[in-house]
Amino acid sequence: MAIPAGTYVLGPDQASLTVHTRKGGAAAKAGHDLTIAVTDWQATLTVADDPARSALELSAQADSLKVLEGHGGMMALGAEETSSIEQSMREDVLKSTPIAYRSTSVASDGNGGLHVDGALELHGRQVPIGFDLTVTDGHLTGSATVNQTAFGMKPYSALFGTLKVLDDVRVEVDAPLPPPS
Amino acid sequence: MVELDHAFPTGPDTWATITDLERVIPCVEGGRVVEATSPEEAKAEIVVKMGAMSMTFTGTVKLVERDDDAQRAVLKVRSKEKGGQGFANAEATFTLNGDGGTLHTAAQISGKAASMGEGVVQSVLDALIKDFTGKLATA
Repeated sequence: MAIPAGTYVLGPDQASLTVHTRKGGAAAKAGHDLTIAVTDWQATLTVADDPARSALELSAQADSLKVLEGHGGMMALGAEETSSIEQSMREDVLKSTPIAYRSTSVASDGNGGLHVDGALELHGRQVPIGFDLTVTDGHLTGSATVNQTAFGMKPYSALFGTLKVLDDVRVEVDAPLPPPS
Repeated sequence: MVELDHAFPTGPDTWATITDLERVIPCVEGGRVVEATSPEEAKAEIVVKMGAMSMTFTGTVKLVERDDDAQRAVLKVRSKEKGGQGFANAEATFTLNGDGGTLHTAAQISGKAASMGEGVVQSVLDALIKDFTGKLATA
Protein backbone atom coordinates (compact mmCIF):
# COMPACT_ATOMS: atom_id res chain seq x y z
CA MET A 1 0.00 0.00 0.00
CA ALA A 2 1.28 3.44 -0.90
CA ILE A 3 1.58 6.11 1.75
CA PRO A 4 -1.12 8.69 0.95
CA ALA A 5 0.15 12.22 0.34
CA GLY A 6 -0.10 14.55 3.31
CA THR A 7 1.68 15.58 6.46
CA TYR A 8 1.93 13.10 9.32
CA VAL A 9 2.94 14.19 12.79
CA LEU A 10 4.10 11.27 14.90
CA GLY A 11 5.09 10.98 18.55
CA PRO A 12 5.03 8.61 21.49
CA ASP A 13 1.28 9.02 22.06
CA GLN A 14 0.35 7.11 18.94
CA ALA A 15 3.58 5.52 17.71
CA SER A 16 6.59 3.66 19.04
CA LEU A 17 10.25 4.44 18.47
CA THR A 18 12.39 1.64 19.87
CA VAL A 19 16.08 0.80 20.05
CA HIS A 20 17.19 -2.84 20.02
CA THR A 21 20.62 -3.75 21.36
CA ARG A 22 22.40 -7.11 21.26
CA LYS A 23 24.98 -8.45 23.67
CA GLY A 24 28.36 -9.87 22.73
CA GLY A 25 31.73 -10.94 24.11
CA ALA A 26 32.97 -14.05 25.89
CA ALA A 27 30.62 -13.45 28.83
CA ALA A 28 27.57 -12.57 26.70
CA LYS A 29 25.56 -15.19 28.62
CA ALA A 30 25.57 -12.82 31.61
CA GLY A 31 24.01 -9.96 29.68
CA HIS A 32 20.68 -9.12 28.09
CA ASP A 33 19.47 -8.18 24.63
CA LEU A 34 17.51 -5.01 25.28
CA THR A 35 14.43 -3.36 23.84
CA ILE A 36 14.49 0.32 24.73
CA ALA A 37 11.70 2.83 24.15
CA VAL A 38 12.32 6.45 23.23
CA THR A 39 9.57 8.15 25.24
CA ASP A 40 10.02 11.78 24.15
CA TRP A 41 10.25 12.33 20.39
CA GLN A 42 8.45 13.93 17.51
CA ALA A 43 8.58 13.31 13.79
CA THR A 44 7.00 15.06 10.84
CA LEU A 45 6.68 13.10 7.63
CA THR A 46 5.60 15.06 4.60
CA VAL A 47 4.55 12.83 1.72
CA ALA A 48 4.18 14.56 -1.63
CA ASP A 49 2.56 13.21 -4.76
CA ASP A 50 6.07 13.33 -6.20
CA PRO A 51 8.01 11.18 -3.68
CA ALA A 52 11.18 13.19 -4.35
CA ARG A 53 9.51 16.21 -2.70
CA SER A 54 8.75 14.28 0.45
CA ALA A 55 10.65 14.94 3.67
CA LEU A 56 11.15 13.56 7.17
CA GLU A 57 12.31 15.33 10.30
CA LEU A 58 12.63 13.75 13.71
CA SER A 59 13.90 14.92 17.06
CA ALA A 60 14.26 12.92 20.28
CA GLN A 61 15.40 13.50 23.84
CA ALA A 62 18.40 11.39 24.78
CA ASP A 63 17.30 11.40 28.42
CA SER A 64 13.98 9.77 27.57
CA LEU A 65 15.20 6.25 26.81
CA LYS A 66 13.50 3.61 28.98
CA VAL A 67 14.21 -0.11 29.08
CA LEU A 68 11.12 -2.08 28.04
CA GLU A 69 12.50 -5.63 28.01
CA GLY A 70 15.66 -7.62 28.50
CA HIS A 71 16.06 -11.08 27.01
CA GLY A 72 18.66 -13.66 28.01
CA GLY A 73 21.03 -13.11 30.90
CA MET A 74 21.63 -15.11 34.06
CA MET A 75 19.00 -13.24 36.03
CA ALA A 76 15.85 -11.34 35.09
CA LEU A 77 16.20 -7.58 34.97
CA GLY A 78 14.63 -5.88 37.99
CA ALA A 79 13.79 -2.24 38.63
CA GLU A 80 17.27 -1.58 40.05
CA GLU A 81 18.99 -3.03 36.98
CA THR A 82 16.81 -1.20 34.46
CA SER A 83 17.40 2.03 36.34
CA SER A 84 21.16 1.37 36.23
CA ILE A 85 21.04 0.72 32.46
CA GLU A 86 19.05 3.90 31.86
CA GLN A 87 21.56 5.88 33.92
CA SER A 88 24.44 4.41 31.88
CA MET A 89 22.69 5.30 28.61
CA ARG A 90 22.15 8.87 29.80
CA GLU A 91 25.51 9.54 31.41
CA ASP A 92 28.03 7.23 29.72
CA VAL A 93 26.75 6.52 26.22
CA LEU A 94 24.46 9.27 24.92
CA LYS A 95 25.65 11.94 27.38
CA SER A 96 22.37 13.85 27.02
CA THR A 97 23.29 15.09 23.53
CA PRO A 98 20.61 16.16 21.01
CA ILE A 99 19.18 13.49 18.69
CA ALA A 100 17.81 14.65 15.35
CA TYR A 101 17.24 13.23 11.90
CA ARG A 102 16.64 15.26 8.78
CA SER A 103 16.11 13.72 5.36
CA THR A 104 18.17 14.93 2.42
CA SER A 105 16.44 12.91 -0.28
CA VAL A 106 13.37 10.71 -0.51
CA ALA A 107 12.49 8.34 -3.32
CA SER A 108 9.85 5.73 -4.04
CA ASP A 109 10.97 2.23 -3.11
CA GLY A 110 8.92 0.88 -6.01
CA ASN A 111 6.48 -0.91 -3.71
CA GLY A 112 4.42 1.98 -2.43
CA GLY A 113 6.87 2.84 0.32
CA LEU A 114 9.64 5.39 0.54
CA HIS A 115 13.39 5.12 0.71
CA VAL A 116 14.72 7.93 2.90
CA ASP A 117 18.29 9.16 3.00
CA GLY A 118 19.41 11.76 5.47
CA ALA A 119 21.68 12.67 8.33
CA LEU A 120 21.34 11.54 11.92
CA GLU A 121 22.76 13.83 14.58
CA LEU A 122 23.78 11.86 17.64
CA HIS A 123 26.48 12.30 20.27
CA GLY A 124 27.49 15.58 18.62
CA ARG A 125 28.13 14.06 15.18
CA GLN A 126 26.13 13.85 11.96
CA VAL A 127 26.31 10.61 9.98
CA PRO A 128 24.37 9.71 6.79
CA ILE A 129 21.74 7.03 7.36
CA GLY A 130 19.20 5.61 4.92
CA PHE A 131 16.20 3.37 5.51
CA ASP A 132 12.85 2.30 4.06
CA LEU A 133 9.42 3.37 5.26
CA THR A 134 6.61 1.03 4.34
CA VAL A 135 2.92 0.68 5.08
CA THR A 136 1.61 -2.76 5.94
CA ASP A 137 -1.87 -3.40 7.33
CA GLY A 138 -2.31 0.29 8.05
CA HIS A 139 0.98 0.53 9.96
CA LEU A 140 3.86 2.72 8.96
CA THR A 141 7.09 0.93 9.80
CA GLY A 142 10.77 1.59 9.33
CA SER A 143 14.04 0.20 10.61
CA ALA A 144 17.58 1.63 10.55
CA THR A 145 20.92 0.40 11.81
CA VAL A 146 22.99 2.78 13.91
CA ASN A 147 26.68 2.05 14.31
CA GLN A 148 27.69 3.52 17.65
CA THR A 149 31.39 4.04 16.93
CA ALA A 150 30.57 5.93 13.72
CA PHE A 151 29.13 8.59 16.05
CA GLY A 152 32.17 8.53 18.33
CA MET A 153 30.22 6.62 20.96
CA LYS A 154 31.88 3.93 23.02
CA PRO A 155 29.63 0.86 23.15
CA TYR A 156 28.95 -0.16 26.74
CA SER A 157 31.18 -2.90 28.09
CA ALA A 158 31.68 -4.58 31.46
CA LEU A 159 33.61 -7.44 33.01
CA PHE A 160 36.85 -6.11 31.53
CA GLY A 161 35.43 -6.08 28.01
CA THR A 162 34.19 -9.69 28.10
CA LEU A 163 30.56 -8.49 28.16
CA LYS A 164 29.54 -5.75 25.75
CA VAL A 165 26.77 -4.20 23.74
CA LEU A 166 27.44 -4.86 20.06
CA ASP A 167 28.37 -1.82 18.00
CA ASP A 168 25.33 -1.96 15.68
CA VAL A 169 21.94 -1.20 17.24
CA ARG A 170 18.62 -1.32 15.39
CA VAL A 171 16.14 1.54 15.61
CA GLU A 172 12.52 0.83 14.68
CA VAL A 173 9.49 3.03 14.22
CA ASP A 174 5.96 1.64 14.15
CA ALA A 175 2.86 3.80 13.87
CA PRO A 176 -0.73 3.18 12.93
CA LEU A 177 -0.95 5.46 9.91
CA PRO A 178 -2.92 8.47 11.10
CA PRO A 179 -5.08 10.48 8.75
CA PRO A 180 -2.87 13.03 6.95
CA SER A 181 -3.34 16.67 7.81
CA MET B 1 39.28 -25.81 38.79
CA VAL B 2 40.57 -23.10 36.46
CA GLU B 3 44.35 -22.60 36.29
CA LEU B 4 45.90 -19.58 34.63
CA ASP B 5 49.43 -18.20 34.25
CA HIS B 6 50.32 -14.58 33.70
CA ALA B 7 53.56 -12.62 33.36
CA PHE B 8 53.56 -8.98 34.36
CA PRO B 9 55.88 -5.98 34.65
CA THR B 10 57.11 -4.96 38.09
CA GLY B 11 58.19 -1.72 39.72
CA PRO B 12 60.43 -0.99 42.68
CA ASP B 13 57.55 -1.48 45.16
CA THR B 14 55.80 -4.47 43.61
CA TRP B 15 57.10 -6.99 46.16
CA ALA B 16 56.03 -4.70 49.00
CA THR B 17 52.60 -4.32 47.38
CA ILE B 18 52.03 -8.05 46.91
CA THR B 19 52.95 -8.80 50.53
CA ASP B 20 50.80 -6.00 51.98
CA LEU B 21 47.14 -7.12 51.93
CA GLU B 22 45.87 -3.58 52.42
CA ARG B 23 47.68 -2.56 49.22
CA VAL B 24 47.24 -5.62 47.04
CA ILE B 25 43.50 -6.27 47.58
CA PRO B 26 42.36 -2.88 46.18
CA CYS B 27 44.40 -3.65 43.03
CA VAL B 28 41.67 -6.16 42.16
CA GLU B 29 38.90 -4.25 40.37
CA GLY B 30 35.97 -4.03 42.78
CA GLY B 31 38.03 -5.34 45.69
CA ARG B 32 38.33 -3.74 49.12
CA VAL B 33 39.59 -4.63 52.55
CA VAL B 34 36.74 -4.92 55.05
CA GLU B 35 39.02 -5.51 58.04
CA ALA B 36 42.72 -6.32 58.32
CA THR B 37 42.76 -8.92 61.10
CA SER B 38 46.56 -9.37 61.01
CA PRO B 39 49.45 -8.57 58.64
CA GLU B 40 48.84 -11.98 57.06
CA GLU B 41 45.04 -12.06 56.98
CA ALA B 42 42.21 -9.74 55.97
CA LYS B 43 38.48 -9.88 55.56
CA ALA B 44 37.72 -8.63 52.07
CA GLU B 45 34.95 -8.07 49.57
CA ILE B 46 34.88 -7.98 45.81
CA VAL B 47 32.04 -6.62 43.75
CA VAL B 48 32.00 -8.01 40.21
CA LYS B 49 29.87 -5.86 37.93
CA MET B 50 28.27 -7.71 35.01
CA GLY B 51 26.61 -4.86 33.19
CA ALA B 52 23.55 -3.88 35.16
CA MET B 53 23.96 -6.91 37.43
CA SER B 54 26.58 -7.31 40.10
CA MET B 55 27.74 -10.13 42.33
CA THR B 56 29.44 -9.58 45.67
CA PHE B 57 31.83 -12.10 47.20
CA THR B 58 32.95 -11.73 50.82
CA GLY B 59 35.60 -13.78 52.60
CA THR B 60 39.21 -13.88 53.67
CA VAL B 61 42.54 -13.33 51.97
CA LYS B 62 45.57 -14.93 53.63
CA LEU B 63 49.24 -14.55 52.92
CA VAL B 64 50.06 -18.23 53.46
CA GLU B 65 53.64 -18.27 52.12
CA ARG B 66 56.22 -15.53 51.95
CA ASP B 67 59.87 -15.91 50.92
CA ASP B 68 61.49 -12.49 50.77
CA ASP B 69 64.81 -13.84 49.45
CA ALA B 70 63.25 -15.75 46.57
CA GLN B 71 60.51 -13.11 46.23
CA ARG B 72 57.83 -15.76 46.17
CA ALA B 73 54.45 -15.34 47.88
CA VAL B 74 51.20 -17.29 47.98
CA LEU B 75 47.82 -15.70 48.67
CA LYS B 76 44.82 -17.87 49.48
CA VAL B 77 41.31 -16.49 48.91
CA ARG B 78 38.16 -18.09 50.32
CA SER B 79 34.90 -16.29 49.65
CA LYS B 80 31.16 -16.79 49.46
CA GLU B 81 28.64 -15.10 47.23
CA LYS B 82 26.63 -12.59 49.23
CA GLY B 83 22.97 -13.60 49.22
CA GLY B 84 23.65 -16.72 47.17
CA GLN B 85 24.93 -20.27 47.36
CA GLY B 86 28.08 -19.80 45.30
CA PHE B 87 31.68 -19.50 46.34
CA ALA B 88 34.95 -18.36 44.78
CA ASN B 89 38.21 -19.73 46.14
CA ALA B 90 41.65 -19.19 44.70
CA GLU B 91 45.32 -19.71 45.35
CA ALA B 92 47.59 -17.15 43.74
CA THR B 93 51.34 -17.79 43.57
CA PHE B 94 53.52 -14.76 42.81
CA THR B 95 57.17 -15.06 41.82
CA LEU B 96 59.27 -12.00 41.05
CA ASN B 97 62.61 -11.91 39.28
CA GLY B 98 64.77 -9.15 37.88
CA ASP B 99 62.78 -8.92 34.67
CA GLY B 100 59.26 -8.92 36.05
CA GLY B 101 56.89 -11.31 37.73
CA THR B 102 54.72 -14.34 37.13
CA LEU B 103 51.42 -15.26 38.69
CA HIS B 104 49.93 -18.74 38.76
CA THR B 105 46.26 -18.76 39.71
CA ALA B 106 44.23 -21.83 40.61
CA ALA B 107 40.56 -20.93 41.13
CA GLN B 108 37.39 -22.80 42.03
CA ILE B 109 34.12 -21.02 41.37
CA SER B 110 30.56 -22.26 41.94
CA GLY B 111 27.04 -20.87 41.80
CA LYS B 112 25.65 -18.35 39.34
CA ALA B 113 29.08 -17.27 38.11
CA ALA B 114 30.04 -20.87 37.31
CA SER B 115 26.74 -21.45 35.51
CA MET B 116 28.10 -19.31 32.66
CA GLY B 117 30.41 -22.21 31.84
CA GLU B 118 34.10 -22.87 32.40
CA GLY B 119 35.15 -21.16 29.16
CA VAL B 120 33.37 -17.95 30.14
CA VAL B 121 34.71 -18.08 33.72
CA GLN B 122 38.20 -18.55 32.33
CA SER B 123 37.84 -15.58 29.96
CA VAL B 124 36.53 -13.28 32.69
CA LEU B 125 39.15 -14.44 35.21
CA ASP B 126 41.89 -13.97 32.63
CA ALA B 127 40.73 -10.41 31.96
CA LEU B 128 40.41 -9.66 35.69
CA ILE B 129 43.93 -10.95 36.41
CA LYS B 130 45.44 -9.00 33.48
CA ASP B 131 43.83 -5.85 34.85
CA PHE B 132 45.08 -6.69 38.36
CA THR B 133 48.68 -7.48 37.39
CA GLY B 134 48.76 -4.37 35.22
CA LYS B 135 48.30 -2.29 38.37
CA LEU B 136 51.02 -3.98 40.43
CA ALA B 137 53.93 -2.10 38.86
CA THR B 138 52.62 1.28 39.96
CA ALA B 139 50.49 0.49 43.04
